Amino acid sequence: MEEFEPNIIGFLCNWCSYAGADLAGTSRIQYPPNVKIIKVMCSGRINPMYVVNALQQGADGVLIGGCHPGDCHYSRGNYLARRRIAVMKRLLEYIGIEPERVRMTWVSAAEGRKFAEVVEEVTEDIKKIGPMKKIRRENVW
Amino acid sequence: MVDLKNLIEITKKIISREDVKYIVGYKKGTYGFQIMPAFAYTPEDAEEFIYSPLCSKNLAVYTILEEKLPLKRGEEEDKRKIGVVVKGCDSRAVVQIIQEKGLKREDLVLIGIPCRGVIEPKKIEKMFPNQTDLIEVIENDNSEYIINIGGKTHKVPKNELLSDVCKSCEFPNPPLYDVLLGEEVEITETEEFSKINELDEKPTEDKWEYWKEHFERCIRCYACREACPLCYCKECMADTLNPQWIRRSVNLSENTAWNIMRAYHLAGRCISCGECERVCPVNIPLMELNKKIERDVKKMFDYTSGLDEEEKPLFGMFKPDDPEDFIL
Ligand code: SF4
Ligand code: SF4
Ligand code: SF4
Repeated sequence: MEEFEPNIIGFLCNWCSYAGADLAGTSRIQYPPNVKIIKVMCSGRINPMYVVNALQQGADGVLIGGCHPGDCHYSRGNYLARRRIAVMKRLLEYIGIEPERVRMTWVSAAEGRKFAEVVEEVTEDIKKIGPMKKIRRENVW
Repeated sequence: MVDLKNLIEITKKIISREDVKYIVGYKKGTYGFQIMPAFAYTPEDAEEFIYSPLCSKNLAVYTILEEKLPLKRGEEEDKRKIGVVVKGCDSRAVVQIIQEKGLKREDLVLIGIPCRGVIEPKKIEKMFPNQTDLIEVIENDNSEYIINIGGKTHKVPKNELLSDVCKSCEFPNPPLYDVLLGEEVEITETEEFSKINELDEKPTEDKWEYWKEHFERCIRCYACREACPLCYCKECMADTLNPQWIRRSVNLSENTAWNIMRAYHLAGRCISCGECERVCPVNIPLMELNKKIERDVKKMFDYTSGLDEEEKPLFGMFKPDDPEDFIL
């Protein structure tokens, strides 16, 4: 049987974590190709419903990346995102969605190595728990 | 206990004022244990106001349903106030709406009722099913409800009929009011809303089994949204078409997304009145979701909704040292 390759959606902020992912690429650091990145201007722009919608639409996991606290380009977006995702994550766990599926990380523009490590860890964890079937949409279009 | 004469007296006085448009209160329903909202535009209308342990409805919802029609040329805006009869939780809902700038304090007159808990309609209908006559219930001083049905008097211990949210209510006295009817009630020991702890300890798969069974039954009537005083968005995310956050099809995936969204949008805003669960036609335990979030929010951010109009909304502020143990 073929090994399960998870589909992970990464919402990364333009200023830090996306630049971090870019750095990982330009420095030719190897990391799993499972994360499909969607760039947003700020982690504070991520509507927590994005997470739910991604899981419905075919993602096996969601990774959210923002600047380190204090480094947000818009000064407070990542702090707000931290609160929002903390509550959403706990709610999803409570209704029975594995905590491994929703992850959040702080990656700065200089942390290409860290980005690669985080992606590796997240991919490994999701491989272990298998595909997301619980709230997957039946007809995806 | 609320003195009915006093209630009517005060309502009459307020409605006679120039600057008050109408007052929303409770009146008798038509059959069974029903209670209806009443709108008093004149002092005579106030005669039909009642208050009993059956008055579980959260009337704060009417403050945000007030329709503001576009003005005709030369017409002046009706700036008169709206009055509402509020229990502890209803008053907190009003505080929360004011905090979010959905309403202005000066547009409201609040008649506060120190609340001793309300009867859960679903429980009493189960105990005395299929009643066709109108039935009244009073509470005596020994924590019992006196229910008079067809000439026969039943005495039921309060705890058996009391709403679950009332059992764990910490704020029975309205935090915001203009007049208070009677003495503030003493806050006795409250029970913890224990159902969430039981489920919290179960493994992930069991949690999903539990909720799956419930979410599958949701018919997406959105009654939970309509009854909630804090679901007052002009355009609900469940109704938008572009983007379509939630599809119209009624299936497990969309139902789950809807229920997550509703509960999540009330994080740090829900004031635990229990209306959403009361109106759900398929008995989904929505309060368990609300209470779970309420507890998380309290634990993580030390935040309680609906107590202070000046406070900032939960998701509109932050503390630099908010917990972040979940972040990689
Ligand atoms: S009231 Fe119940 S059935 Fe109706 S939409 Fe809400 S949860 Fe679903
Ligand atoms: S979510 Fe339910 S309990 Fe909370 S305020 Fe709305 S109706 Fe009341
Ligand atoms: S469910 Fe959300 S978007 Fe819809 S009315 Fe309630 S708070 Fe507003």
